[in-house]
Amino acid sequence: MTTHSAQLFSISTGSSEPIYRQLVEQVRRLVAAGQMSPGDGMPSVRDVAQALTLNPMTVSKAYSLLEMEGLLTRKRGMGMSVAERPTTGHSAAERAELLRPTLERAALEARQLELDPDTVLSLFTQILKEQA
Amino acid sequence: MNVPVIQVASISKRFGAAAVLNGLDWQVTPGQVIGLLGRNGAGKSTLLECLLGLREVDAGAVTIYGEDVNALSDATRARIGYVPQKSDLFEWLTPRQMLDYVRALYPRWNDAKVDGLLARWGFSQAMQARPISKLSGGEQQRLSIIRALGPDPELLILDEPVSALDPVGRREFLRELIDGVVERGTTVVFSTHILSDLERVALDVAFLKDGRITLQGQIDELLEGARRVAGPGVMKTPSLEDLFIEVTQ
Repeated sequence: MTTHSAQLFSISTGSSEPIYRQLVEQVRRLVAAGQMSPGDGMPSVRDVAQALTLNPMTVSKAYSLLEMEGLLTRKRGMGMSVAERPTTGHSAAERAELLRPTLERAALEARQLELDPDTVLSLFTQILKEQA
Repeated sequence: MNVPVIQVASISKRFGAAAVLNGLDWQVTPGQVIGLLGRNGAGKSTLLECLLGLREVDAGAVTIYGEDVNALSDATRARIGYVPQKSDLFEWLTPRQMLDYVRALYPRWNDAKVDGLLARWGFSQAMQARPISKLSGGEQQRLSIIRALGPDPELLILDEPVSALDPVGRREFLRELIDGVVERGTTVVFSTHILSDLERVALDVAFLKDGRITLQGQIDELLEGARRVAGPGVMKTPSLEDLFIEVTQ
């Protein structure tokens, strides 16, 4: 079990993605990719705020959202850590909703590329099967 | 905690024929960190000066901590820090003399913070012995910020506090704002054109246009709310800069 450092995160300003969302997505990706394992300690809100020069409220907003999603758990006196069994207890519809921002961006790019929905959907289906 | 720190009721201010503030209503609540945005000449400095009672309004009223801004008690005055756009710092004094003078005006003064900032922000002994008029614009701005932070204000009003600072200076200022000010629960109102700094520190923004606050909200919500389908096949995902351009034009 490791405690991750605040250097783990990076954010970009001037994005259409609010900063707290960028942090949320980074944790989701790192957990999904196995770079963060269940039980790993998260850097404190204060450390992240200082390392990235952010308002601490923005960092706690991201952590709270991740806690609600079940990806992080708060341990008394120990700060946040990666949950043992992430995303249990959430309906498929709730979990699907998490995918919406990513899909919205993909949809935008698909339109810019003038791809019709059928082509995009069959590509997406193919990608889903590859991963499985 | 529900009493607003600043309450602005329908203030107007005109300079000759030009109405700069036009029946402006605004409210700042305790602990808010709010960026005031607007085009050049929109009246941001005028608004901030009116908030502080430094400029008389033609109509309307401003209260700070429940007191009329034109009759602030000394106790309330001591709770406010202000960094003007153009620093006005007793230019014939040295930084040390100026700070000693200002220090005596406040019931509370954080010597450790002031000395720490002077050291961290490059005010060497030699520099502290030079008249302020001989300092660069950026050095004067840093000194003005240090002066405003000295009394550990509960309300900090900054008018383009980083306009003369280089990127390193700006980042150092943001660090101080986050560690030393925001963490203490200080209410902060600042005007700026540097949106990347704003996004890091402010949770709320207010847009000044046509003499009024035309839009105010949490940055996160404004960005997410502005995400929408703008027409067939076109999805807009604006940044804060896009939003600024759209709202202020």
